[in-house]
Amino acid sequence: MSNISQASSRDTGAPLLELTDVKTHFRTRRGLVRAVDGVSLTLERGKSLGVVGESGSGKTILSRSIMGLLPTKGTERHGSIRFQGQEIGNLGRKQMRHIWGREMAMIFQDPMTSLNPLMKIGRQITEPLEIHLGMDKDNAWATAERLLQDVRIPEGARRLHQYPHELSGGMRQRVMIAIAMACGPTLLFADEPTTALDVTVQAQILDLLNDQRKERNMSLILVTHDLGVVAGHTDEIAVMYGGKLVEKAPTRVLFADMKMPYTEALMQSIPKIDDPSHTRLLAIGGRPPDLVNPPNGCRFAPRCLYARDRCLTEEPPLRATDNPEHTYACWYPVGSAEYYQAKARLAETPVAVGGLD
Amino acid sequence: MRYALQRFTQFLIVFFLVTFGVMVFMRIGLNKPGDPARTMLGGTVSQELIDSTTAKFHLDSNYFVQYWFWLKGMLTLDFGYSAPNNMAVTTYLKPRVLTTVFLGVYSIFFALVIAVPLAVYQAYKRDRSFDKLSSFATFFFISVPAVVLAPLLKYVFIDWLAWFPRLSSKIYPWDDLVGHFKNFFVPVLVLTIPLAAVWTRLLRADMVQTLQSDFITLASAKGVPPSRVLWGHALRNSVFSLVTSVGFQLGGLVGGALIVEAYFNMKGMGSLLVVAILSSDLFTVQAVSAILVACVVLVNLGVDLSYALIDPRIRHARALS
Repeated sequence: MSNISQASSRDTGAPLLELTDVKTHFRTRRGLVRAVDGVSLTLERGKSLGVVGESGSGKTILSRSIMGLLPTKGTERHGSIRFQGQEIGNLGRKQMRHIWGREMAMIFQDPMTSLNPLMKIGRQITEPLEIHLGMDKDNAWATAERLLQDVRIPEGARRLHQYPHELSGGMRQRVMIAIAMACGPTLLFADEPTTALDVTVQAQILDLLNDQRKERNMSLILVTHDLGVVAGHTDEIAVMYGGKLVEKAPTRVLFADMKMPYTEALMQSIPKIDDPSHTRLLAIGGRPPDLVNPPNGCRFAPRCLYARDRCLTEEPPLRATDNPEHTYACWYPVGSAEYYQAKARLAETPVAVGGLD
Repeated sequence: MRYALQRFTQFLIVFFLVTFGVMVFMRIGLNKPGDPARTMLGGTVSQELIDSTTAKFHLDSNYFVQYWFWLKGMLTLDFGYSAPNNMAVTTYLKPRVLTTVFLGVYSIFFALVIAVPLAVYQAYKRDRSFDKLSSFATFFFISVPAVVLAPLLKYVFIDWLAWFPRLSSKIYPWDDLVGHFKNFFVPVLVLTIPLAAVWTRLLRADMVQTLQSDFITLASAKGVPPSRVLWGHALRNSVFSLVTSVGFQLGGLVGGALIVEAYFNMKGMGSLLVVAILSSDLFTVQAVSAILVACVVLVNLGVDLSYALIDPRIRHARALS
């Protein structure tokens, strides 16, 4: 494999990324939309974090907030975002530009719309190389060819002179990854990188992302609605709901011992390979909370099967389990006495779970 | 190749249909009071002249024969004879054509020079005060008709400020470049302002839409500076309506310049066509129509080709067909 400029390692000892009470609010006609409402987390160099949640949980806005890729007009940003020991939460687009592509890069959901249709693949890959690394044209194109090799696109030299419409969806997503990795960023965001792809291609793309992360010692933030996607590909998982972090744990720990009923519900909505065929998937009833007027108490309570009065009035704080790396925000977590009581009650009364049917 | 051939065939069909149609309609008009040559030449001419004109231009033959001879003349740039002016159409057509071409080309050029940067900057500063102010201005200038703009600008620049001379259309750039531009400035401005306003609005709308695309966000996320995002990525993806509109405008150049030609007393093709139709000047009308049709069709071809030049998808789709 190639040894293209590895990410500049400014080792300060501090974590690569440190969020403290990050809030992103949008001023709209309806009122203030609290898309991200107080998220704190840290990410170490070279690690991968899965951010999971439904549509509207704030996961995409969180990643864009970290990158500073949101429109400046009508957006309020609060809290602290430290990247490589430097506060970047208050930087404008102008200052962020030198971080974009070079230190942080992003892969978007839909490779069909994320590449410029009128520009050759090669040009789109070499652009950041020329801008950030000051490469001349020949050098940049040679590097681009190696990058295509890295993302396992055969016949790179020919592909560079093609336009996006001449490539399949999977190929285009590989090109996106090549673009993102061009300058050897330290932090890569992948926002639903496989949602728009065929199932057969999804695993390939995820494996590719993971291999490249390890090889280049990048950190990866993988944003997805699909717990199945993050299961085998991340070190840690953060579950978001209603703009808040509701559970965070190392991947193994989370799958073995999830605390939030919401995480459990997400889990149950994935088809499992050893279920008999035609097993009905459990959907989560209701819809995500209105982020202009979020519910009091726990934001998931109105949809939670195990919710009690306290859940509706008092907001549960994030607290750790015996494992300090595993935090969750729930009064009556999975495994508690109240949880089992409620579950037993539900089993007696045959209501359609979560309002299905 | 097949595409080019197809387009050329289209061009020929349209050209023949329009020029033949114009001839037939003019002839119907000429035939009405009796003899076409007499109508063309006016009341008080000798029978010999009528006979010779009839013979020369085959006015007594059927339409197809007459059209055939006209076509043959066209090939040698002989557009026929203008009876009211008593001279060959070719000789007095040339300055007319040039005047209109100058008016059209200058106004389109300057309109683009104004519209493109303005629209790009407006889209960049979308919904800020600059954008809102410019949007109001462009809306305003679209609404002002040329018949108002022409006297206004003439008063300001020619009568009041006296920056430019009173007009004569006879100055060519190869004779006196400065004089030429001074001469054309105000009429061109009258044409440029509404064009620039329309095109600014058109391009701004498309730019705003393009700037919301994923690939623009990606370009920013790569660290591409805003100017390069705008000019390198967004503009090219936004010019299709503009190119189409410029094409229409080039094609409709003559009609568009009519008011300006009339007001500033510039002898162009627009005013020529009106006079020719009113005076039953068969060959002039036909010559002007032929030029117009050729312009419209060629410009359309150019527009189509530039689509392919801008967008590889169109290019490839055509290469396959």
